[in-house]
Amino acid sequence: MNTRSSDAARPLSSTHGFAAVGDAWNRFWFSPADSWPLTLVRIGTAAIALAAWWSYAADLQAWFGPAGVLPADTVREWRPPTGFSLFDWAVTPLSLNALFVATGVVFALLLVGFATPVVAVLAAVLWASLLHRGPILAGPADDGLSILLWCLAIGPAGEYVSLDRWLANRAGRPVPAAGWRASISQGLLQVHATAIAAGAVLAQLKGDVWWNGLAAWYLATGPRSGAAGLVPLLERSEYLTNLLTHGVTAFEILFAIGLWCGPTQQLVARVGLIGWPLVGLLAGEPLWGLAMALFALPLAVRR
Amino acid sequence: MSRPINNSTPSPVIQTAVTVALSIYLVGLVLSIVGNTGSGSSAVVRTIKSRLFSPWMVPPWLDLGFDYRLTYGSDEDGDFSVEVRRQGDEKAAPVRFPGRLTGERAARWRRLARSIAVEDTDRDGLLAAAVGRGMFDDAGADDVTVRVLRTPLVDRGGPPSAPVQASSARVRMVGGELQLIRAEPRGEVAPLVRPDASGDPSDGGTGSDGEATR
Repeated sequence: MNTRSSDAARPLSSTHGFAAVGDAWNRFWFSPADSWPLTLVRIGTAAIALAAWWSYAADLQAWFGPAGVLPADTVREWRPPTGFSLFDWAVTPLSLNALFVATGVVFALLLVGFATPVVAVLAAVLWASLLHRGPILAGPADDGLSILLWCLAIGPAGEYVSLDRWLANRAGRPVPAAGWRASISQGLLQVHATAIAAGAVLAQLKGDVWWNGLAAWYLATGPRSGAAGLVPLLERSEYLTNLLTHGVTAFEILFAIGLWCGPTQQLVARVGLIGWPLVGLLAGEPLWGLAMALFALPLAVRR
Repeated sequence: MSRPINNSTPSPVIQTAVTVALSIYLVGLVLSIVGNTGSGSSAVVRTIKSRLFSPWMVPPWLDLGFDYRLTYGSDEDGDFSVEVRRQGDEKAAPVRFPGRLTGERAARWRRLARSIAVEDTDRDGLLAAAVGRGMFDDAGADDVTVRVLRTPLVDRGGPPSAPVQASSARVRMVGGELQLIRAEPRGEVAPLVRPDASGDPSDGGTGSDGEATR
C-alpha cells in the first residue's frame, strides 16, 4: 500500500530551494493515498458525533425552543457577525425537533457509510449549525468534531466498510484507485492534530499550575474528571502530581512535533491513540480525548 | 487492505487551485491560533484575521484558537451551576442545572452557567435575562432570581469548599417588558473621614460613621 505519509517521509531530491519545497508540498498533499484510514476516522467520528448530538436531545426545547433559555436574538450577541445557523429558522417546537432529528439521521448515515460524499458535507454543515445555535454550550470535543467532519467531507470516506461499498460490490464496481483527495484529507488531519496539540500547550503554559506541577491535581479533582480514583494517590504524593502534570505537557509537545518526524511518526501516532483519551479522561473531556485520537488514527494505521 | 494505486496526480489547474486554497486556509489556521481571544492578540493580527479570514472561517466553525488550557487552577475553572428560584421565596425549591445530570449534557449546562458568571457582564446580563425568562414556567412565577453558584477548586491538602455565589440577578416581567436587576457585589471602598466633625454635608463627607455608601 502506498500512502501519503510514507511518501512525505522520503528524502528530498537533489533539487534545492523553492523547487525542493514545492516537491515536498506536492508529495505531502497530492501523492495518491488509500482511503482505508479515512474509513476508520469516519466510523469513529460518526460515533462520537452521535454521542455529542445526543447530549442536546433532552434539553433541546429548553435551550433552543420558542420559550427556551437561549433565544436566537440573545445568542447572536455571542456569535461573530458572519456566524449563522440553520437552527435559527427552526422557530417552532416541531421544526426544531425535525431539524435536530435530521441531524441525527445524517450522523447515522455517515456511520454506516450511505451516500457518504453528500452525507459527510451535510453532517459538517448541520453540526456547525447546531454549534452556532448555542455557542455558549460548545466545548473542545465539539470543535474537534467539526474539523473531523470537514476533513471527511473532503476525502473519500465511504469506500470501505460502508453501505456505499456494499452497493458498489453488488453492482460489480471495483474499489476505486487510491487518490489525491484522500491524501489531502489525511494531510489536513495531520496538520490539525499538530495545531490543536500546539494550541493546547501554548494555552496551558501560560498558567502557573502547568509549571508548578499542580494542574493534574485540579483536573483530577474536577467535577467531570474520570480520574477520581487517582486523587488519593495524588494527595499522598506531590511528586506523582507533578509527574502527571509534566507528563501531559510533554506528551502534547512530543505529539505535535513527533507527527512530522519520519522515524517517530507512527509510534507517536499510536501513543496518541492511547494518550489522548487518557488526557481527555483526566480533564473531564472524554469525547475531546477520543476526537483527538481520531486525528492520529490515519498515521497510526499506516502500513 | 491494498488496492491499485493511481499514480496520476490532479491536473495542473486543479493542483494549483488546491494549493492556493490550502495555503490560504493554513494561514487562517495559524492566525486563528495566534489571534485567539483566550490569549489576546496584537491589533495587526486581530485586524487581518477578522477582516480577511473570520468571515469565511466562522460559518463552518473553523475559526478556532484551540485555547484548551484545561485548567489554570483559578476561580474560573471551578464547577459552575445555575439556580433559578421564585423571587422572594427562599423556601421555594429552586430549579438547578446541571443538578444530578452527568456527562456531556451536564457539561453544557456548566458552560452556560459559567458564561452567565464570567462573560455575561460584558453583555449587560443578556444571558441571565434570557435564562430567567426561559425558566419562568419551571419556577412557576414571572419574577425570579437567577443565581450562578461556583464550587471552588479543592486545593491540595485542603478541605472541599462550599459553593459560593458567583453572580445573581433578578429577572421579572413587568407590563410585558423584561427587566433585569443585577445584584452587584458591594465594592470595597476606603472610609471617608471628614476633616472636621461638625457633620457639614457640604464637605463631601458621609456625615455618618465615616463609611461611604453607594
